[in-house]
Amino acid sequence: MTAPSPDPAAAPARVPLDRRLAKAAQTVTSRSLGPYQTAIVRIGFALTWLLFLVREFPNRHELYGPDGPWSFDMARRLIADNRAFSVLMWSDGTLWFEAVYGLAVLGALAMLLGWHTRAASVVFMVGALSLQNRSVFLGDGGDNVVHLVALYLTLVRCGQVWSLDARRAARRAARDEKRPELAGPVLWVVLGGFLVAATWFSPVTGEWWMYVLLWVLWLGQGLWWLVEQYAPGEPRTLLDVLGHLTHNAVLAVLMAEVCLIYATAGWYKIQGSRWQDGTALFYPLHLDYFTPWPALSDLLASSGIMVMLLSYGTVIVQVAFPFTLFNRKVKNVLLVAMMLEHAGIALLLGLPAFSLAMIAADAVFLPTAFLVWLGTRAARGRDRLLRRTPAADLPPQRPAGEDAEESGGGTGDETAPRTLVG
Amino acid sequence: MSAHIDGSERRPTGGILALSLPYQIVAAVALAALAVLACLHLAMVFLHVAPSNTLTKQHGQAVDDWIYPEFEQNWKLFAPNPLQQNISLQVRAQVAGPGGSHVTNWIDLTAQDAEDIRGNVFPSHAQQNLLRRAVDWYGTAHDDEGRPKGTRGRLSEEYMRRIVLLRIEGPGARADVGGKVERIQLRRVSRPVPAPHWSDEKNSTQSSARVMPWWDITDADRARTETSR
Repeated sequence: MTAPSPDPAAAPARVPLDRRLAKAAQTVTSRSLGPYQTAIVRIGFALTWLLFLVREFPNRHELYGPDGPWSFDMARRLIADNRAFSVLMWSDGTLWFEAVYGLAVLGALAMLLGWHTRAASVVFMVGALSLQNRSVFLGDGGDNVVHLVALYLTLVRCGQVWSLDARRAARRAARDEKRPELAGPVLWVVLGGFLVAATWFSPVTGEWWMYVLLWVLWLGQGLWWLVEQYAPGEPRTLLDVLGHLTHNAVLAVLMAEVCLIYATAGWYKIQGSRWQDGTALFYPLHLDYFTPWPALSDLLASSGIMVMLLSYGTVIVQVAFPFTLFNRKVKNVLLVAMMLEHAGIALLLGLPAFSLAMIAADAVFLPTAFLVWLGTRAARGRDRLLRRTPAADLPPQRPAGEDAEESGGGTGDETAPRTLVG
Repeated sequence: MSAHIDGSERRPTGGILALSLPYQIVAAVALAALAVLACLHLAMVFLHVAPSNTLTKQHGQAVDDWIYPEFEQNWKLFAPNPLQQNISLQVRAQVAGPGGSHVTNWIDLTAQDAEDIRGNVFPSHAQQNLLRRAVDWYGTAHDDEGRPKGTRGRLSEEYMRRIVLLRIEGPGARADVGGKVERIQLRRVSRPVPAPHWSDEKNSTQSSARVMPWWDITDADRARTETSR
């Protein structure tokens, strides 16, 4: 997408198609697009899952443990049929269960901080899938979206900014440090051991492609390290190209997935008589499972006009959202509306994890200018909190070797320093 | 990498244009393969969430094979219509006692959940989803006469018994019946949400109950070890 040119006299002549294709190919092979958008998605989902795991810590045995109501043996029978992936199926020991739960927490924490993000994303995915697939009849829409995004994020460079990785890279560049770093290779060897174990247990759980994915990710990291050390020329550039390509393809899939979520939710609602007569919202406000604050729900449900406006508004926003991506301003307005609605759902229907996950998914469409502004504010707030001088020892976090301003989430945000949300 | 002077243009230091021809071919093949894979995946996800149509009637198995189990998704929460009734699961149990066994009154397990959710900023899946989704699943895994459909039907019955026992048997239970449970009987009560006061619609507010047969409880329905909890 091209930005409108500020000077009409300088408007470019029509660029021939082959040149434009070449330029597009160069763009998707030379940059991992949306560094801020992918980072906020990473942080949002890691935070959601981390909060969920901490919240459920007292209930973990009842929900996912070997002796919970959905017993190990029942899970084994179901997984033998559907081939879902869960490392919890390796053993029915309580110790193993505690270890996996602990690793899931650590994976989410590492993902949140962006500590060795490539490895963390795999641990995060394995942790999330293992717990959710162990007890499939527990989840709701929030778990569903965490499940999908955890899989996608293993292939997205979501630690380019706002991560410990980015901070470390900046520090090393500032000191011109060439000595290879140690934690990465150690992590790689440890995870390699896990991978061998996983492959050993593959007849018990998981489809074949899951193991292909895990091996490709692991071997890819090893290859990357070798090439970085010993072949910094063209092989290094080729690997970079492949990395950018994968990132960009999966980012596109992730964005389309969010559109499909809203399209499905919206278009199916249109067919419902309650959404048509404008009373739909009234009913969830009277369901015992979704009314943590009955007085608040009653208050909202008492106004017929209010219920109708919110019901119609929900459907309109959900159906319209994918189409508004073609217009930056309208998209941003709808994005704010959807995020506010999800915040309302968190409180009113008692679904905070679901709402936070959906807000994190929406965030992939936030404009770069707003995210940069948000990042600056957050850094300033942190410095004030810690009573230290603004990060003078650090160069600003920017994705290496690219012009971050140009990479909005598929929109031409670079011309607008302040957007409607910003 | 130093910038090469290539004709009048500077050669880029990254991306496909920075590569020599053999490497460019590898990159181009990867680009094409990834583009095809991404489009195929999105097409499969689309067909999975779309209503039944010509394509899914002919190639439904291929779509299912691609999607299940890891890419399954359902975004029809409250669609096409929101749930319009409160469904509660109630249980009564035959409990062994010193002077022979007795049958308890009906215990409303869903009411316990509702009570735990009220005033709760972050309800647990154990309160909001465990029983609710088990009841849903039980419904879909049984036919209209209440007979289990295959393995899943029997699994859902086993699941239900274990959930119920955890709640009514033993000192740690939410509603301890005070003895060893020998048999249980469940009933599923549906209470329609009355139409809004501004509506002239007159829907039935009569609640209906579906009573299930008595089930014998065996040790397989109890947690495997008492110490692990």
